[in-house]
Amino acid sequence: MAPENGQESAEFGVVVRDVWRHFGSVPALSGVSISAPYGQVTALIGPNGAGKTTLLLILASLLRPDRGEVRVAGADPVADPFAVRSQMGWMPDSFGVYDQLTVHEYLGFFADAYRMKRASVPSRVAELLTLIHLSEFAYQPVHVLSRGQKQRLALARALIHRPRVLLLDEPASGLDPRSRVELRDILRGLAAEGAAVLVSSHILTELEEIADRVVLVDRGRTAGEHTMNELAAQARTAYRVRATDAAALAAALQSRGVQATGGNGTGTELPPMSEDQAAELLAGLVGGGVRVVAFEPLGSNLESVYMAMTEERR
Amino acid sequence: MNAPTPDGIWLVTRQEFRIRLRTGRWRWLLGGWVALLAIFTALLDLSVQTGYGFANDNARRGVPLFGILMLFVLGMVLVISPALTSQTINGDRERGTLATLQVTKLTPLEIALGKLLAGWGVGLVALLLTLPFAGYAMANGGITVGRVAAVYAVVAILIGVVCAVSQALSALLARSITSALLSYLTVAALTIGTLISFALIAPLVTEPHTERSPDGYVYTYDVMRQDRVWWLLAANPFVVVADAAPQVPPQITQRGDVIFVADYDPLSMIGRGVRDLRRPPDYQYSSNDQQDPGEPVWPIGLAFNVLLGVGAVAVTTARLRTPSRRLSRGVRIA
Repeated sequence: MAPENGQESAEFGVVVRDVWRHFGSVPALSGVSISAPYGQVTALIGPNGAGKTTLLLILASLLRPDRGEVRVAGADPVADPFAVRSQMGWMPDSFGVYDQLTVHEYLGFFADAYRMKRASVPSRVAELLTLIHLSEFAYQPVHVLSRGQKQRLALARALIHRPRVLLLDEPASGLDPRSRVELRDILRGLAAEGAAVLVSSHILTELEEIADRVVLVDRGRTAGEHTMNELAAQARTAYRVRATDAAALAAALQSRGVQATGGNGTGTELPPMSEDQAAELLAGLVGGGVRVVAFEPLGSNLESVYMAMTEERR
Repeated sequence: MNAPTPDGIWLVTRQEFRIRLRTGRWRWLLGGWVALLAIFTALLDLSVQTGYGFANDNARRGVPLFGILMLFVLGMVLVISPALTSQTINGDRERGTLATLQVTKLTPLEIALGKLLAGWGVGLVALLLTLPFAGYAMANGGITVGRVAAVYAVVAILIGVVCAVSQALSALLARSITSALLSYLTVAALTIGTLISFALIAPLVTEPHTERSPDGYVYTYDVMRQDRVWWLLAANPFVVVADAAPQVPPQITQRGDVIFVADYDPLSMIGRGVRDLRRPPDYQYSSNDQQDPGEPVWPIGLAFNVLLGVGAVAVTTARLRTPSRRLSRGVRIA
């Protein structure tokens, strides 16, 4: 799962190998291993308490792992946190802003705190304000911003020093649909420019659109690491099918031994199957003269993988 | 490699000021502070004139005015100072603004010193506002510039010490209400606690003393040895300030056979008091007692306080260092 030794620092913004961390007697991470390559968006998913936030705090150079190997932008956050910080942007899941400052001052302060060259700060701040659509609020105090706008401002803060590794903990929570789409475009854009983006979220359908890769974490361990293409090929998803003649469809399904799992006016639900199986079934139905008008996967690949993983916990 | 820079410290200080000053309450607080000082000085001036028998034309009327005023100012800044920094670290943690600062290139020492300077700076502004009133005391005579400078310098340092200790408590404790309470208890320990401990411990430190009277009788009695425990009082801020002020000798006037000793400087009285405690018991009544200035106590007291402040900054810095090994109980790191 974790990449082999060698060119990892050149290819991977984040490398985590067998990392452990406990709080008192409570284990938070029990040997997790993940990686996030440059130029891609990696989704970190897992149930509440799986250790996602703990892992991101370790990557953000705020928390020390008990043991295990961590590299962020090629540097060890424990041994050389400042090397990590100059290359890493972090957006926590809950955070505060300096309410009394203006949006412009807020970003300017962090530009200074990252020791950016004075001359480059105004243009960088203006650029980010355009990116997050807050230019008109530049000289407004931060406290007039809505929750979603503050969320975007926090993203801009994390981006101020052009990090090559971006760590985002639930960045989409509190965002309206348009802001989510924009967040997706921003993250895709950063990855296209070569950044390694690691995003944790619960909103699976959205991650599916953003992510190139997905890492599943459960009970402090890596439960799977896949590219989205692999997932699409492997995942077994339920399907819904609808035909002009419901009776003919039911007969055709029965003759092929496919048991419908339910249905309503929008169609008949079929049990989980792989993409290959689904394609074969559809070809068979159409070839058999059933006039199919809709044949669609139910839920997302990511969702089915997630559900399969969390199923075992019950 | 990542040594603290003045730039980094100043950035944090400026940020703290910006956040605090924007709330606007400071105008009212400082206004109230000046009003309080004005009322106190006016009443003090009246009572020194009427109640204590210093006529308007007494050339040294500034001495008691200044002494009492500075003891009041010290008492007040000791009350104000904990409030300036006792929530700077855990308050930022609670608001979720500390971690975002820690992931920048600012070093823990820069953050600690920057925040401390902001709090200390506010305390120094409060102290500066008392200068006109000290000036009024000076105008009343008997006070040298050196005396004013010494007292202000020591008070300024003590404000920094209290700010540093309060800040360390806010870095150590998760809840800002707890750190504020403990900050005040620390000030109480330095002021009242030193007095109480001295009062309780000094009587226990006794030594039998044997004396032979000229007619051959041998007396043995217990003598208190305050000179072994005087240091319990050394850390007391009032003692440090009072003893650091150059002493004003009591005014001795003789009319016929009667000697009048007028000692009306509270600072010198405290100073002489603690220096006397430091003196080993003197069984031969010597007459040069009045001339002997005694060993000064304030350098030890001030050194203790400064060490306390430096240690507090070290604690704060250690607690701000990341990646951290532990999290404060019940506090999310973000």
